[in-house]
Amino acid sequence: MENETLKLHELMISRGTFFCYSGPLSEEVLTSLSGAVKEQLSDSEDLPVVKKVFGIFVEQAQNIIRYSVDRLDQSGVGSVAISKTEKGFMIEAVNSIDPKNVDRLEEILKPLTEMNKDELKSAYKDRLRSGPPDGSRGAGLGFIEMARRSSKFDYDFLAHNANTYFVYRGWVE
Amino acid sequence: MEMAGTTRTPEVKIDSSNCSIKGECYPEDISEFSGPVMETVRENLSSSESFTVTIELYYFNSSSAKFLFDFFEYLDQAGEEKQIRIVWKYRTEDDAMEEAGSEFEEDLENVSFSLEAIS
Repeated sequence: MENETLKLHELMISRGTFFCYSGPLSEEVLTSLSGAVKEQLSDSEDLPVVKKVFGIFVEQAQNIIRYSVDRLDQSGVGSVAISKTEKGFMIEAVNSIDPKNVDRLEEILKPLTEMNKDELKSAYKDRLRSGPPDGSRGAGLGFIEMARRSSKFDYDFLAHNANTYFVYRGWVE
Repeated sequence: MEMAGTTRTPEVKIDSSNCSIKGECYPEDISEFSGPVMETVRENLSSSESFTVTIELYYFNSSSAKFLFDFFEYLDQAGEEKQIRIVWKYRTEDDAMEEAGSEFEEDLENVSFSLEAIS
């Protein structure tokens, strides 16, 4: 049986994806999605878990809005999804980026994968004191914040159809 | 000054000796929110000997963390000459907000900072 709708349904169900948004993401859309995400999370989980998952979701969504190079008016095109897996909640995002930014992102993210909780806290406070780095449209804290809230995270840069995609996944146990 | 809360910005009330901020904070552009708040606090604080800031936030994003850090740094400076009190309220089970409050407290020297659990 080759039916795309059924295939999509089976893919989402099989990986435990209970929330997924793909397409142009604006601040207005994020406002609407936030309510839906909170509602879905609050049904079953305790507050600290809900807050971590929600916090990572918001940072990922605002990264897509601000930094996706695939744009439609004020929106950045990308996908953000939340799944319930054996390793806890997985919050994942993908958007296209300028290949020139790969090295800069790698420089920010690689050290974060190697830091323990205390080191992440120090990095967070250092960034608060020093202010945003060049090229940031926020406080430059988002990746550190996500690393602190997740039990682990990974990322990748994928060349596909003449685009470069940035993939980020964080887990909350 | 009173600003009603929205889905993504907290309710704000400021008078001659108090400022309270209550709700969630993850606006599109934090400076649009923080600009008027900071300005009004400055005006009121300049003619007051003591000032109390009460924060009861349930969630704030990383851009808003920078605002809070700068806000507290300003209050800490003002605390060299005036009596400044910051009350950080968090829901008992909300360990993230408790931790956030105690981390802000670590950097403050001239204000009285209290963490208060609410049910």
